[in-house]
Amino acid sequence: MAMRLGLADMLSAGTRGVSRYTGTLLAVFVVQSLVAAACMFAVAMVLAQAFAHLPLFDDAVDGDLVALIWCVRYAQPSFVAIGGILLGALLLWQLASWFIVGGLYGVFAQRPEGRAETARCFGASGAATYLAYVKLALCSLPGYIVVLFALGTGASLVGTRIWHALTMWQLIGPLLLAMLPGLLLLHVLWTISDYARVELTLRHDSHDPGVVVTYLRSAAYVIRRPVTLVHGGLGWLGLLAVTAFYAYLAQGHPMYGTEGAITLFVARQGVSLLRMAIRVGVLGGQVELGRSRPLPPRRVEAKVDVKA
Amino acid sequence: VVVVAALAACNRDRGAPGVKTIKPDSFLTLRGSGPKSQRIANYKIDARLDAVKHAITATETLTWTNTGTTAVDSLPFHLYLNAFKNDQSLFMKSSKGVVRGAHASDTAWGYIQVESVQVGGVELASKFHYTPPPTAKDDQTVAELPLPQPVLPNGVVEVNFKFTAQLPEVFARTGYKGDFHMVGQWFPKIGVRQNDQWECHWFHVNTEFFADFGTYDVSLTVPTTYRVAATGVLVTANEAAGNTRTLTYRAEDVHDFAWMADPYMNVLTGKAKVEAPPGGSDDTVEVRVYYRAEQKEFAQRHLDAGIGAIERFSADYVPYPWPIMSIIDPPMDAVDGAGGMEYPTLVTTAGDTVFARPGVRFPEYVTIHEVGHNWFQGMLASNEAEEAWLDEGVNDWADSHVMAELYGATGSAIDWMGWQAEAMALRRAFADDPSALPSPIATAAYAFVDNRNYALSSYDTTLRALSTLEQTVGSLKFAAAMKAYTKAWAFRHPTGRDLFATLGKELGQDLTWFFGPVFHEVGGLDVQIRTASCRPYHPPRGIFDDGSGGHKTKSEVESPETGSFKCDVVLQNTGTFHVPVDLELRFADGSVQTRTWDDKGGESWKAFELDSASRLTEVWLDPKNKLALDSPVLHHQRLEGDGAASLRAAAWVSSAAQTLMQLVGP
Repeated sequence: MAMRLGLADMLSAGTRGVSRYTGTLLAVFVVQSLVAAACMFAVAMVLAQAFAHLPLFDDAVDGDLVALIWCVRYAQPSFVAIGGILLGALLLWQLASWFIVGGLYGVFAQRPEGRAETARCFGASGAATYLAYVKLALCSLPGYIVVLFALGTGASLVGTRIWHALTMWQLIGPLLLAMLPGLLLLHVLWTISDYARVELTLRHDSHDPGVVVTYLRSAAYVIRRPVTLVHGGLGWLGLLAVTAFYAYLAQGHPMYGTEGAITLFVARQGVSLLRMAIRVGVLGGQVELGRSRPLPPRRVEAKVDVKA
Repeated sequence: VVVVAALAACNRDRGAPGVKTIKPDSFLTLRGSGPKSQRIANYKIDARLDAVKHAITATETLTWTNTGTTAVDSLPFHLYLNAFKNDQSLFMKSSKGVVRGAHASDTAWGYIQVESVQVGGVELASKFHYTPPPTAKDDQTVAELPLPQPVLPNGVVEVNFKFTAQLPEVFARTGYKGDFHMVGQWFPKIGVRQNDQWECHWFHVNTEFFADFGTYDVSLTVPTTYRVAATGVLVTANEAAGNTRTLTYRAEDVHDFAWMADPYMNVLTGKAKVEAPPGGSDDTVEVRVYYRAEQKEFAQRHLDAGIGAIERFSADYVPYPWPIMSIIDPPMDAVDGAGGMEYPTLVTTAGDTVFARPGVRFPEYVTIHEVGHNWFQGMLASNEAEEAWLDEGVNDWADSHVMAELYGATGSAIDWMGWQAEAMALRRAFADDPSALPSPIATAAYAFVDNRNYALSSYDTTLRALSTLEQTVGSLKFAAAMKAYTKAWAFRHPTGRDLFATLGKELGQDLTWFFGPVFHEVGGLDVQIRTASCRPYHPPRGIFDDGSGGHKTKSEVESPETGSFKCDVVLQNTGTFHVPVDLELRFADGSVQTRTWDDKGGESWKAFELDSASRLTEVWLDPKNKLALDSPVLHHQRLEGDGAASLRAAAWVSSAAQTLMQLVGP
């Protein structure tokens, strides 16, 4: 019987994975940075169209609150357009992430050697599971609707209390308490999706498991093994900690001028890379645990049909 | 279930309130000798609060003097509480049951029931009748009392009432919430007779109040566990039957009386230093903030703001004449209905929120605004129904100065974590363009197209108009003129015309070019840079008469470029308001030139031609930000675009985008 993996094993597997496939991590990060950069240039063009001739916007960017209010009121359509660009970038990344996550799971599962083999494995795995991941996302939708309902109900319960909050605790306490059920449910759903993806990747060639069955089996697995939730939760906490730490350090350092802008860019990219390493490390840990799961039922007939 | 249970467990149990120790105030009712006003309407009221039913039973004696030139055979009275009697009153119809975000209760209505009204011992209740407006037949906020005998000029009449005032659940400045009682507009109040005409308008969502000055002797009987704050000075405090006590207040030279009763209020006290009255030595005003325990952090801020406001308004205008100021910080569940209202010597404040961190001065602003109303309406008792801007907007303008004096010019409203905003600039940035408002400033409060137009015109646009005028004529001169206005009209009923006349006289200018369009006409100020261009200068080229019948040709060789530039700037004003406009022109070599367009009407554009040794790089219309009535966004322009700031902002947006990407993917 296989040894039962614990949290420490998952964390060390994640760390090993990140250090072994640093190149893959960097490649994914470059892709993400390119999407972010494209987003930046699109936003810059929209802003320049509205404000290139108006020094008031320079003041706004340099922290003049009143100038910022004037600029936002003056160019509302531009800011709506920026919202659209942001949404588009997120949607694009969501679509890309199904391929990227499939690729990363494939690399961690097959442990290829060498740059070329790793790249081949990444691409093949990402492509092989892409459609299954899309189906999985559709399969998860009802759960997310329940999450939205839980979050909305929680917010409406504490709305008046928050409106009348006088201290940070009176604001954050009820809000956290009210959102907690929704957030916990969201975490559970995300974890289920993650382990379903691991299963779809690991067993794609050998068992070709069905998406719905895999989702349901993963739900049962996650509920039986709380370590999955703790491990994923630690990942989110790490992400939050890095972001909060950066916000704390950046506070009060507006970084004016070209030198400031470059410093800011480097710092932000560093923070993003660190967060991505955490996310990728979590994926590595999940693959390690996913290997130890009982095998899914074979869909032999499906394989036969395809060959025929 | 877990969440609801946890939230319910968080509710604070205040416990039973204890008996309060109350001592009469030790100071006189006025600083300095009185009377300061004509004291036309004087009231003596004995009232008892039923804290369970939230009702007040009272007797009232009004002594009114006819200061007009004709006899008076009937008296009109405001019965403001009847605005909350049903949803068919003018107030409810005009507000649709919502004021400042507070909703009127569908079950806890408020009203005033006059049980008896006597003149000279003759019962006249049967003749006391409501006079509703044509648009609200069920309105009972004004009633008329036919008199058995006319009151002759300089004659005096005494009217005795018995009435019950049922408070609504707190809404539109008055009412109860739990144990908290804010009692305003609660007694039959006579209208104002001006130029032998009565001013007694029905209560409308946009109209506040207008009343004659007088004295108020008011006895309030309340449970001994209740703390009371009221207009005026507490003269006596006597225990009464049934665990109650009677508190008697006296106020002189005031035009209203309001009070608050609550068993859980605490008091924070401080003193403001103001100029001693002539012949007197009392240079202090006692300032008290009434607050619930959970609002303690904000009580000190309100106290400091209240003290600062009294000291600054006293120095800038006329000294505060009363010895006391009470600032009520309503409980959080009552603040939407009761917060932010002014009465003589008593105001309610608001703005307590977790978001108002120290340095975010919304609580201070509300306190300063309401305390400021003790000058602009409390002393300069303008008609708020007819000219709301005359107290609200003028007070707003004065508030922004007081804020700057107290907290510094650059960050008077917000000075928090590197973010700074000045009060006037912030108000201006959030306000609508005046040209988008269909009713001008000088519209009667009840005649505005809607509440939004009323609020924007009466507050923001008036503030912006006065600021524009101030910057045009000079701040110091304008401040002196405003001081003269307050001195001339304190304890009287000034009108807009009086303000304009006083300012014109004090500033030594005919300002009709400004007051007419800005206050009485629909429109706005819309000054813009129409075009700005620059080209290298060369002497004339082409074919010219040589003076002897022949021609002389000057080509590029004979007339080369000199290295200097010829620039054109065209300004336009497509608005209806016209004011002088400053122009600053910046050149590539760092030099600056200034021009002025002395636009006081009659012109809609102005062209400037300039010769310069260097290329024009920036045009800055109104560089000192004098034109508060206009939007400044397009006032400052570069001739060549610069996308550096856009790129910097975009980098921030993309960083945020990348953070969100890492939530949805790796």
